[in-house]
Amino acid sequence: MTEHSHLGNQLAVELHGITKRFPGVIANHDIELLVRPGTIHAIVGENGAGKSTLMKTLYGMHQPDEGTITVNGNLVQFKTPTDAIAAGIGMVHQHFMLADNLTITENIILGDEPVDGRGRIKFKEARERIETLMKSLGATFDPNTNVSELGVGQRQRVEILKVLYRGAKILILDEPTAVLVPQEVDELFTTLKRLVADGATVIFISHKLDEVLAYCDEITVIRQGTTVAHTTPSQVNRRSLAELMVGSDLPDPSGRETKIGTDVRLQVTGLNLAGEIVGAKLALEDINVAVHSGEIVGIAGVEGNGQFELCESILGLRTILSGSISVCGQELSHAETRERINMGLSYIPFDRHREGLLLDAPLWENTFLGREENSSLTNGPFISRSKIESDCRSIIDRFGVLTPSEQVPAFALSGGNQQKLVVGREMASDPKVLLAAHPTRGVDVGAQAAIWDELRHARDNGLGVLLISADLEELIGLSDRILVMFDGRVTAHLDPATATPEMLGTYMTGEEQGVAQ
Amino acid sequence: MKFFKSLTTGQRTVALSLGFMLVLSIVRLFTNADDITSSGTISSTLRVATPILLAGLAGVWAERVGIVNIGIEGMMIIGTWFGGYGAWKWGSWAGIALAIVAGSLVGLLHALATVRFNVNHVVSGIAINILAAGATEYLSIIFFKGQKGGGESQSPAGKGGYGEFDMPFLSGGRIGSWHSPDILGWIEKKHDLPLLPDLAGFVRGLVSDIYIPTIVAISLVPITAYILWRTRFGLRVRSSGESPQAGESLGVPINRLRYQAMAISGGLAAFGGAYLSCVFTSTYRQGQTGGQGYIGLATTIFGNWTPFGVFRGAILFGFPSALKFRDEKNVPALLLVIAVILVALAIVSLLKNKQLLATGLLIGAAVSAATYFLVDEVPQEFVAATPYIVTILVLAGAQQQLRPPAHAGIAYRAGENH
Repeated sequence: MTEHSHLGNQLAVELHGITKRFPGVIANHDIELLVRPGTIHAIVGENGAGKSTLMKTLYGMHQPDEGTITVNGNLVQFKTPTDAIAAGIGMVHQHFMLADNLTITENIILGDEPVDGRGRIKFKEARERIETLMKSLGATFDPNTNVSELGVGQRQRVEILKVLYRGAKILILDEPTAVLVPQEVDELFTTLKRLVADGATVIFISHKLDEVLAYCDEITVIRQGTTVAHTTPSQVNRRSLAELMVGSDLPDPSGRETKIGTDVRLQVTGLNLAGEIVGAKLALEDINVAVHSGEIVGIAGVEGNGQFELCESILGLRTILSGSISVCGQELSHAETRERINMGLSYIPFDRHREGLLLDAPLWENTFLGREENSSLTNGPFISRSKIESDCRSIIDRFGVLTPSEQVPAFALSGGNQQKLVVGREMASDPKVLLAAHPTRGVDVGAQAAIWDELRHARDNGLGVLLISADLEELIGLSDRILVMFDGRVTAHLDPATATPEMLGTYMTGEEQGVAQ
Repeated sequence: MKFFKSLTTGQRTVALSLGFMLVLSIVRLFTNADDITSSGTISSTLRVATPILLAGLAGVWAERVGIVNIGIEGMMIIGTWFGGYGAWKWGSWAGIALAIVAGSLVGLLHALATVRFNVNHVVSGIAINILAAGATEYLSIIFFKGQKGGGESQSPAGKGGYGEFDMPFLSGGRIGSWHSPDILGWIEKKHDLPLLPDLAGFVRGLVSDIYIPTIVAISLVPITAYILWRTRFGLRVRSSGESPQAGESLGVPINRLRYQAMAISGGLAAFGGAYLSCVFTSTYRQGQTGGQGYIGLATTIFGNWTPFGVFRGAILFGFPSALKFRDEKNVPALLLVIAVILVALAIVSLLKNKQLLATGLLIGAAVSAATYFLVDEVPQEFVAATPYIVTILVLAGAQQQLRPPAHAGIAYRAGENH
């Protein structure tokens, strides 16, 4: 407040010496962050580097133990998000904070409802304001629809609208592109540029360096809880920025020394799967995939285009309509899931929390899951706790899972370490075919490198992998062939040597390949 | 089917109700069970349905805010006791007021357990049911035992009931000291006509012999709908049951809302209890609720967590009981009604291409109809079980289209989510 004369140079957000401790961990220490108004300011760092903690501090979700926060030149202390909102700060969370069964309008006005004297909501007024904001954002939907009917990109718009509705001038976006396809990412940044042109300031948290370099004005790098660099896209390139982030050399998904084998490990022929409702269109239509030993076949596609159904069909969790599935030459179309697993099928599931782990159970129980018939882990009909525990310890060592012991519950691990544990478990039984769905989703660069190494290593030893991923770079780097799925069908066959993320993005959003290969 | 789908929800309700009346009318003409659509049956349905309705609304408030309330039964029991006590000491209205206060406190206790201490909602609810049964017995020994007409399982008689209300002209209500004509009553007695006497009976049932607390309870249906869908408080309550994280991130005081809504829920359930002990009868008796709290919770689900849906459910559950109360000879006619409805549902499922379900429904219809024609007297046990059988059938049938509040019953701690 004291220096009105310097309004022109005034920073939108200024953090000095922010330190935040949780029991046993220092999440942030000595953070220095300077954000100029009217810019898109990227905060980059690995998962677990402390980006989210820092943003929660700035948004008033918890208080820093040390340090100062200055917003538009005013020293502030936020006790709750409400204080931050009052200061003009809005947050778009990584996991959308939307109530599915409420309408778009209701979601937006929640907490800041225009009401008359008796507490009755003035819906007409709310709707008019929202429609004005939608215009400035370039969004087109009916604000009276339920959020449950919206797609991911639209939900994100609603989140941004929520923030704008509260008059926020400083927007924090926590990994907003993690859930979007390339085209949606473009749209998002068009929107953000529009907002910045209207005088907003955007703080953009990400670990996707291409976006950061392409769209942001300034960059602050966070490593191990503290800020290590402040730079601009013109001063760095992808590699140097990544090295700032990791603090060492980078992993690379590509690289192979061995040849693809000749024996077919997984063969899916003419697979059809009925839709959820009788009479509806097929969930999977005429899928043909072959995976050879020592080969990684990548499947690209926007989530919900049949990848999940394909995995469940191969595993025998769904009854297929027609077609055949065989593993190592053995016809298994109607076999029990257990038989298929015994034939050497293994599965890294889409969602480690829902399908991969028992979050409340200790790690050793988790690594035992699905391997109950493994005689090296049992004593006759009884499970052998000591054998399982030592097997679990070896998985922990081999995959570098960061944990105090195999006795802690799975929820105590960070996402990356949970994923390493799941991958370790699936690799431990020496599978012949691995269905890997998003094997490195939501894990940091270090863990990603470790998982990629293991996949490559296993592949070189003859493992056939069906890789489903939303990380296009991972797909292109690891795969020997790439299939694109759209609407329950395989719509394109691509060669990773020539494919680009943009090309994949086009096919993923419905473009069909002219010539089938 | 297409025509039906083009109607608004309100029009559909009217169409379905008329269809139902038609079924009842045909069955009445066929069986001479005139009572199944008499105004007496309808008004007694309302009376029987009121506690269920209040329990159902209690369920709506609790689940909409995100708390599963198995404790409704216990809160009703508390309501019956305090209603009985208040009615005995000061009169019936005081009984209801006292019950609502006590019920709100028990609602707050449930909120304290589930919100503050994160106890599993079902566990806490069952604990409240057990606690309520024990506490009322204990209180009865202290306050009622040794009093005139009182004992360890019942209260002394309450001080007077309520005036009943009749609508002038339609059902012969008084204006001053003048008896107005009873037009609907006259039409209702023309038993040979189809449909008309049934409709007259239905409407007359709604406007004659009505207790004022019943009117209060029914008016709570639109009031609840208004508060939940039109006011700030209501939107926040619903957001708490759908996604408390969303509300919390926008500065909505989720925990406070949960206490408030649970106080309302407990108050409504206890009102339902007090209705039993000082309106429906004039004394508290142990075990008076007889599981109506659970049926109320079932109507919450059947009514898709909406107040009007709960109202429909309460009427549906109240109807067989009312028939039973008036004259058990009416109940066999209900078998025929069930048969006709099952046939109608079978036709609908056939149109939707669900042959298996249709076959099942037709078999059910055949069994119902056969039972009606082959059996002269329906056993007493079956009569008593009818409302519960209807409950199970209705819930099984309605299950697929229901959508509960997404976060009801899930543990939530403020500040622990992103």
